[in-house]
Amino acid sequence: MKYRAGSVMRLAVPFRALTQRFAFLFLILAAFGLMMIGKAETLLVERVRTGVIDVVAPIMDVLSRPAAKVTAFVDDMRHLTELRSENQQLRLQNTRLLQWQEAARKLSTENATLRELLNIVPDSRVQYASARVISDSVAVFARSVLINAGGRHGVAKGQAVVTGEGLAGRIISVGDGSARALLITDLNSRIPAVIEESRERAIVAGDNSGQLRLTFIGRDNRVELGNRVLTSGHGGAFPPGLPIGVVSQIENGVIRVQPFVRFDRLEFVRIADFSRVIGAEETPTDPDSGIP
Amino acid sequence: MPLELLQRLDRLARNLTPLTLTFLLVIISATPLRIPDFGPVAPNVGLIAAYYWGIYRPDLFPAVAAFAVGLWQDVLIGTPLGMNAMVLLAIHWFILSQRRFFQGKSFAVVWWAFALIATAMAALLWLIAMAYHARLLDATPAAFQGVLTVALYPFLTWVFARIQHAVLRQA
Repeated sequence: MKYRAGSVMRLAVPFRALTQRFAFLFLILAAFGLMMIGKAETLLVERVRTGVIDVVAPIMDVLSRPAAKVTAFVDDMRHLTELRSENQQLRLQNTRLLQWQEAARKLSTENATLRELLNIVPDSRVQYASARVISDSVAVFARSVLINAGGRHGVAKGQAVVTGEGLAGRIISVGDGSARALLITDLNSRIPAVIEESRERAIVAGDNSGQLRLTFIGRDNRVELGNRVLTSGHGGAFPPGLPIGVVSQIENGVIRVQPFVRFDRLEFVRIADFSRVIGAEETPTDPDSGIP
Repeated sequence: MPLELLQRLDRLARNLTPLTLTFLLVIISATPLRIPDFGPVAPNVGLIAAYYWGIYRPDLFPAVAAFAVGLWQDVLIGTPLGMNAMVLLAIHWFILSQRRFFQGKSFAVVWWAFALIATAMAALLWLIAMAYHARLLDATPAAFQGVLTVALYPFLTWVFARIQHAVLRQA
């Protein structure tokens, strides 16, 4: 009996080592295979990914709230010291803005009268859904965020993600109650854009740094420092005229754009459903409806 | 025999602690902290977990666990599926092959070894990312992440040690 047990053991130990080694090799191959599949069969991989994220999104949502509270508190403390100077600055800005408001009112009424005269079909309004950022991009080589709105709230792939400051990114995958937005600073982000002043078209590309690069623009362009860069609306995915950033550096033909959105401060974003507006039917609904 | 069943469940729950803990930590690490420029270089908790449990409780953190944690990171963070899984498997393999070295070593030595491994892993991640995107990438964020991860190591392993002591003592 003893002898037999021993012989089994003598066989079992190397066998176990072999299976372990085999399992390890298998896992390495699986990781490699997944990367290959992810590159070729993006749809399938995205579906699995969004499925999983949908399940954990509520947990992340809950977790992101106290974190946001703490940062807000720290911010408050910091701003407390600068209150006086900030107040003064805001007062100045307020008088200036009131003048602008006056101008805008005048222009708005003038615009309405002129439109009436010309019988222009009005642009139907872009519908927005608001959402909260529940996960940061913590990857070294990717820039994206998770938001807590998904297909259930009318979010769809390709829609523009904006903040009050400007364009932040676009939706790349949608789950039922969550979605992932690729930020404009990501390596894979390409946004059709137009220079506000000269109306030249270009592509705004991300490269994982804090700044963007202006590409596909002619050598003899008239871009200058401080020019604003807006979405051009070409390709139909984005509404035209969303502010992207401002030209911050021109060096050896490389044009850099500083985005308006402060990505480390992303908390609430709006998702612009522009595609619905293109399909002639008019849907003049409230902006900011469907807040999850 | 309900008591035996309960005991078994208890044992199972205890044995799954390293893995569940790591999964939770990965979720927490993905929470937005809104510190300027912190997001991209946030420390890689999966790396610390795979290293710590790989050394002290490899029986509860096998290669499959390293693979699963890496995949979990990929899913949550949005990196290509399999990228972090590959890195954590590499670290797991390295620790297993150097088991003799780690036995009975002081904290400082283990930390020092971690710093070396974290550097190697940052380089590996950088190479994999470049191969995947077929483009030259800036290595600075990866280097910063490596430094922060090494800095976080003592705090996180203190928590791990506490939990190991409290939950896994008799296992």
